[in-house]
Amino acid sequence: MPRPGFVLEVDRSTPPILTWHGEGFRLERLPAERSRVIYAPEPVAALDDPDQAVQDALLHPLGDSPPLPDLLRPGMRLTIAFDDISLPLPPMQKPDNRQRVIEAVLEMAAAAGVDDVVLICALALHRRMTEAELRHAVGDRVYDSFAPHGLLLQHDAEDPDGLVHLGQTDKGEDVEINKRAAESDLIVYVNINLVAMDGGHKSVATGLASYRSLRHHHNVKTMRHSRSFMDQEHSELHSSNWRMGRLIAAAGVKVFQIETTLNNDTFPKQMAFLQKREWEWSGRDRATYLATSKSLSRTPPKLARSIFQSIKAPHAMTGVYAGEVEAVHAATTAAVYEQQLVSVEGQTDVAIFGLPHVCPYNVNSIMNPILVMCMGLGYLFNLYRGKPIVRQGGVAILSHPTPWAFHPVHHPSYIDFFEEVLSETTDPIEIEKTYEERFATDEWYRHLYRTSHAYHGVHPFYMWYWGAHALEHLGDVIIVGGDPAAVRRLGFSPATTLTDALEMASDTVGRHPTISHFHCPPIMLADVS
Amino acid sequence: MAGVPRLPGGAPPEKRLPVSMERVRTGTAPALRAARRLLKPPPSPFPYTSPTWPDSVPREPAERDLGVDYDTDWARRYPARVARLLLTEVVATPAMAALADPQVAGLDRIAHLDGPVVFAANHASHIDTPLLLSVLPEPWRHRTVVAGAADYFFDTKLKAAAFALSINAIPIERLRVSRTSANRAAGLLQDGWSLLIFPEGGRSPDGWGQPHKAGPAWMAVRTGRPIVPIHIEGTRNILPRHSGRIRPGTTHISFGRPIRPVEGDDPREVAARLEAAISALADEHTTDWWTARKRAAAGTSPELTGPGGAGAWRRTWALGERGRRSRRPAGGRWPKL
Amino acid sequence: MRALKVERSLARFGAARVASGWRPGAGGKVGPLRLAEMDLPDLPGPDWVRLRPRLSGICGSDLATVDGRSSQWFEPIVTFPFVPGHEIVADTEDGRRVVVEPVLGCVVRGIDPPCPACAAGHAHRCERLTGGHLSPGLQTGFCAEVGGGWSAALVAHPAQLHDVPDDWSDEAAVLVEPTACGVHGALAGPPGDDQVAVVIGAGTLGLTVIAALSRLRPDITRIIAVAKHPVQKEMATALGATTIAAPGELRRAVRRATGSWILDSGQLTGGAPLVIDCVGSADSLADALAVAAPGATIVMVGMPGGVHVDLTPLWQREIRLAGAYAYGPEPLAGGRHSFAVATDLVADAGLERLLTITYPLDRHAEAIAHAATAGRRGAVKVAFDLRSEKRR
Repeated sequence: MPRPGFVLEVDRSTPPILTWHGEGFRLERLPAERSRVIYAPEPVAALDDPDQAVQDALLHPLGDSPPLPDLLRPGMRLTIAFDDISLPLPPMQKPDNRQRVIEAVLEMAAAAGVDDVVLICALALHRRMTEAELRHAVGDRVYDSFAPHGLLLQHDAEDPDGLVHLGQTDKGEDVEINKRAAESDLIVYVNINLVAMDGGHKSVATGLASYRSLRHHHNVKTMRHSRSFMDQEHSELHSSNWRMGRLIAAAGVKVFQIETTLNNDTFPKQMAFLQKREWEWSGRDRATYLATSKSLSRTPPKLARSIFQSIKAPHAMTGVYAGEVEAVHAATTAAVYEQQLVSVEGQTDVAIFGLPHVCPYNVNSIMNPILVMCMGLGYLFNLYRGKPIVRQGGVAILSHPTPWAFHPVHHPSYIDFFEEVLSETTDPIEIEKTYEERFATDEWYRHLYRTSHAYHGVHPFYMWYWGAHALEHLGDVIIVGGDPAAVRRLGFSPATTLTDALEMASDTVGRHPTISHFHCPPIMLADVS
Repeated sequence: MAGVPRLPGGAPPEKRLPVSMERVRTGTAPALRAARRLLKPPPSPFPYTSPTWPDSVPREPAERDLGVDYDTDWARRYPARVARLLLTEVVATPAMAALADPQVAGLDRIAHLDGPVVFAANHASHIDTPLLLSVLPEPWRHRTVVAGAADYFFDTKLKAAAFALSINAIPIERLRVSRTSANRAAGLLQDGWSLLIFPEGGRSPDGWGQPHKAGPAWMAVRTGRPIVPIHIEGTRNILPRHSGRIRPGTTHISFGRPIRPVEGDDPREVAARLEAAISALADEHTTDWWTARKRAAAGTSPELTGPGGAGAWRRTWALGERGRRSRRPAGGRWPKL
Repeated sequence: MRALKVERSLARFGAARVASGWRPGAGGKVGPLRLAEMDLPDLPGPDWVRLRPRLSGICGSDLATVDGRSSQWFEPIVTFPFVPGHEIVADTEDGRRVVVEPVLGCVVRGIDPPCPACAAGHAHRCERLTGGHLSPGLQTGFCAEVGGGWSAALVAHPAQLHDVPDDWSDEAAVLVEPTACGVHGALAGPPGDDQVAVVIGAGTLGLTVIAALSRLRPDITRIIAVAKHPVQKEMATALGATTIAAPGELRRAVRRATGSWILDSGQLTGGAPLVIDCVGSADSLADALAVAAPGATIVMVGMPGGVHVDLTPLWQREIRLAGAYAYGPEPLAGGRHSFAVATDLVADAGLERLLTITYPLDRHAEAIAHAATAGRRGAVKVAFDLRSEKRR
């Protein structure tokens, strides 16, 4: 029986706490009597026979949807859309959930005699996936069946001939999605719901949308009113997507939604100590910690990066739900909450977030300073329900090396955003007003997004907006162990050690502040009362 | 060394692991006897040799300890297992990698299985068995017995012992209907041993598959264990039937989605599903997975047994490249002037 | 009188070269420059006048000489030992305050008829720099007979003198000569519409070019300046640069401004139609070639010396590489002379602020070191103050 999440009150006998630091980790001692550590629940049990579970879900769908085989008929146009490289994190060991589900769907399509099938990677404005990444996601069999015939596509949000405008919501939001998907008799969307934000109407309305459509919810105003975007009930991001999703349905686009959940088993057996509570470390765990941290400190950053990026998580499928979008998503969200919710009492003055090596946008890539901001203030900060774990005007302390380094292929517009935009201002509103459009319409970024493996020109802006709620909420942000020049460019304060950072934080929140250490990964969702 | 009392002509008592101490002793006997025979001095006249049997006296039925009755328990005890592990890892696997360059696909389909399973593959060559044993993943790699034809591999004590030791073979009756050997195999499955079996009952004579026998399906239904269909392509080019010459080549081994029979399934129906699954794997290897699935769903997968009722040349012709073993002879250059 | 003198000493040039490679400006200590007692220079001709310098700036070409890094090209067109200093504001003996146009062309040399260039008013392109009644020397400050600004006195031809308005400070006046160079460079590029100009380097020359571009070239709407040091960034922005880029960020900045593409090698597919290189190093020229649009003009205002650079883009993209030396009539300014234009510009743009600090001759080593590391040490123009020098 996996244990639920846990909040540890730090006392003098508490061992130092593992704190992630990019491609590495440190043990940090927290001040006694006023600190707490928030631990994730342990991984819930995996499905015994995931393939059978997928079958069952497709045959007994939720909501008012008929079973999948009843929706399939010869001569129909079927589009299978699936989540891109940003899910799950780290990438899961083979076989990926997407492969299992897509194969099951295709088996049924084959049985029904459906010939016109296209697979679309619903990457929105993310970078196109490489062949190896696609093979990992959908499996070699599906890849070899569809890719050579040009039937395995990656969504192109900038293809003038590949999009269709379905109308405007009652709030005036344009809904423009992938044409092939919209004109299909059925879209089957295959999700991996790593966090509570994923899935639902967001799958199609965001994953297959164009910039014109996305800008209605990917903006500062929406993000500031999504508290948090992990909590659909209080997320303007989701309200907007739900309006769009309903419009898509009303426009006659049929979506059969399949959502899968994972447990939070994040690290392979050898690295199990990374998801254990420190006082439960065995001799072997301590030896592994010492060996890895000592050798990592002598490893060149490039090599360390490639070692960490090669980690494949032993995530196991814990649930699969299929059918009508909203019914499915309700079930999925409940399952995600069951794995991830941790009850936390009240807020503290300071929150410490150790940033790991990977965020949704640097799989097989570099976590550049903008992604550091997004990971810390966008994702980890927002992993709450109710209230943030840090109080209004409090301080967030991030731990990450924050190198002044960018992946030139994946993140070209990030470099310009960092060099040009952030050297002028870090205010999200100002950034949105002055610079967004120019980056979004830049021909070169468009070219790289469409033909290479680059994020869309506007993507760094979204990263910045992702953190807009936190920027507004927090009194100060301190990055421990980062490149001082890069940290200052982000508008944050650099500190060498956690002790220094806590000292600096006391300028904002007073002496002897209360502290929360968010012990993530594994991913969890703090239910703050 | 005392033999087990047997009823003449009757079936041996059902065998299961763990075995009694008495069997431990008798179990080593065939090996020892085989070894002794190897070391036997050249024939010398009676009484140094056994007496000849007068033709006029009717011969009593010989003690049946060969063929389907050969007792292989000894080959699943630790000394034999260690020896076989060494043989597999040090000799067979490198040799197969060098000779057959195995390209394995579909292991992800069986990744979540545990416990014993029935591996059922098409059969074209003697190297099918060592090849499969060299690519089987854990946890089955060293816990698999191989069904060998009782009449082919277990006809002499030396052969029987050699195959039992090296590939963990057990004798299976293929020529006539007998539940004896099938029962024993089912017992091994229940004891945690997986079974590698060729449902065609023998190697392909001409490159095309042969009709499946229902034995493997029957065992799976009886034990409730899944059957993993396996398709092997390319071994015929390396060592076909009726040939002693090995030509290195490339082989493709595809593992299929396990078939899980449930209590009460008709073994013949399960066998048909298995045959279809292997045909679909073959189809998938030559085309792609989606095409294969569509044809499998429509029941139009190309049959592995080839064009029926056709002349021999047409069957060979229809094999196409797969049947072409001979390479263009070397030295076919322009004459030097 | 006291003067700073450059002598022809191979050993000292060598020492300066070595030392300056280690620390720029070190040539001021170990190099060919010496503070010496000299005789007042004789008047070479009847109309010549004596000048008493008030301020005299330290120019990049002076630093190159002192640090032993000047090109061999200058060897035949200078005469040792010379007194450097060609950015001069001085008093004449009859009480006028003048700035000196240092070029020593046919008129100054008493050559009549003058060479075709001089006849057309382009004294800086004079073909007779080694002729006439003067010894060889391209400018005042590189010719033994006429002296130079880094001394208590020098001689000049009346044609070289431009009056300074009475209400001007000396500090403003000393910037007229360098500003004239900047004006000449800024006006060297062909006119166009709504153009992007790139200025590489933000020392005195770069900043005067920026000032000239932003005030004299209405066709240039965006100026991207490469600046390394905070004071340079600040000044460049104040003088009219629309975008400031750090040296490593230039190519991306130009790409953003011009909407072109950038290739893996870092070269742009398009770029800016006008690039003004105020540094003159191999790196700056390579940058200029990488960001110049097809058919663009690269103007070299900074003194280059020997550089190693791949000229393939010059050929493949039909880029024109133009030098801009000194001053002359400016077609883009209605034919007015650079000096006249510069005089207006100094007042307009308040270029007086570019003069950061002055030194007496005694502290010449310090002055040279400061000038050589000006940007890093928060300075732009460094000059010698000669107002308290005694003249005997």
